[in-house]
Amino acid sequence: MSNLLYKEWHLAVHSVVYLFLLIGALLLVPAYPYGMIFFFGCLGLYFTSQFARENSDAFYTATLPIKKRHVVKSKCLLFVSIEIAQLIICIPFSIIRLWTLPDGNPVGIEANVAYFGFGLIVYAIFNFLYLTVLFQSAYQVGKAFVIAIIPATAVIALMEYSVHLPSFTWLDSLQTGDLIRQLPILGIGILIYIVGNILTYRVASKRFEHVDL
Amino acid sequence: MRLLEVEGLTKKYPKFTLKNVSFSLEQGRIMGLIGKNGAGKSTTLKSMLNMVCPDKGTIKMLGHDFRQDEESCKQNIGVVLGSIQFYQDKKLQTITGVTKRFYQNWDDAAYRKYMSMFELDEQKQVKQLSEGMKVKYLIALALSHDAKLLIFDEPTSGLDPVAREDLLELFQQLVKDGKRSILFSTHITSDLDKCADDITYIKNGEIIASADKASFIQTFQSLKAPGEDSLNLEEIMVRNERGTYNV
Repeated sequence: MSNLLYKEWHLAVHSVVYLFLLIGALLLVPAYPYGMIFFFGCLGLYFTSQFARENSDAFYTATLPIKKRHVVKSKCLLFVSIEIAQLIICIPFSIIRLWTLPDGNPVGIEANVAYFGFGLIVYAIFNFLYLTVLFQSAYQVGKAFVIAIIPATAVIALMEYSVHLPSFTWLDSLQTGDLIRQLPILGIGILIYIVGNILTYRVASKRFEHVDL
Repeated sequence: MRLLEVEGLTKKYPKFTLKNVSFSLEQGRIMGLIGKNGAGKSTTLKSMLNMVCPDKGTIKMLGHDFRQDEESCKQNIGVVLGSIQFYQDKKLQTITGVTKRFYQNWDDAAYRKYMSMFELDEQKQVKQLSEGMKVKYLIALALSHDAKLLIFDEPTSGLDPVAREDLLELFQQLVKDGKRSILFSTHITSDLDKCADDITYIKNGEIIASADKASFIQTFQSLKAPGEDSLNLEEIMVRNERGTYNV
């Protein structure tokens, strides 16, 4: 597993991914739809897949002493590592924001517990649709992106819209009581992310077994 | 001992079918897989390696079923499928640094030896290499993990005559101790005159002959015209494949 990740980060990652890893800095913008951070995260994954395709990454990986399905595992691990790193990098910015911008974000959701839960759900949906479509052919990155980004964006939009509804004001809160109330969303997000990525690997690798490189 | 056994390999495409391909390769021998462009040489090699998903057939490498033991089979083989087309902007050093982590028997000393022998500079990017140098780099990688079976797809096609001669000489040295075998596809039959022990001939996706070189040549002597000298591999292939155009 570590060799696959090493290979991904040394050969198959587009340099723009490093920039998108730091996109959490947008949390310091006083008024901004922070859901866009997840959108940019998905965009970074698309760019890196395109880069991998142009560099015949799947072909090289398939020649290594690994099983064919590990080509898919390698990409799943890369996606998860980028997403988790991006979310972790968001955390210090969300804390700095509390001190520097105590008035909150008037545009959309605050960078709170629910926000991170939604982020995991967005990424789980994106990974499943993107990777299972991509590994039907191993080259149709554009088709996979269009299919995956629409529902992922819909969840982002739903998250940003819901905090403007009076009954969901607790979702937009940074008060301790509300943060505790948001914990189940984070829990569900973690669960969906774990189960979703296992399912993604299983479905995508099964499809990839039939692909001719 | 047979290092490679291919049995009944079949792959159907809409306009081409690899039909029931079977052949085997003994330890310590060099086999040339010949056929014209589009005959199915690369499809055969890729199907053997599970890079193309075959419809039927079994592959045994070093006595192991390739499908069942893909990882351990790949540990013992070296593969060069055409010229290097991946990671054009990466330095050879970076690609080697990644590749070596996957091989249990990676031998750094052997790698240095082959890089020096092929006059390859690790600090160069892939895109800075000529086609011949790219092939040589892949061969250096393949030879650096003590592979018992080397599978090359048209390894000599991008090389100048001197480099080709060197490579064929190297192939012969590699099998001299009787431990390794080489399977290489080519349409340059003069390469095989120099170094192949066995020939497998594929035409339109079907194996039409697979035998040691002398027997193979003998099989096709019926194609020669009365009074003509013995046919060589090139003449055998040309006479089998020659078509007519009605323009």
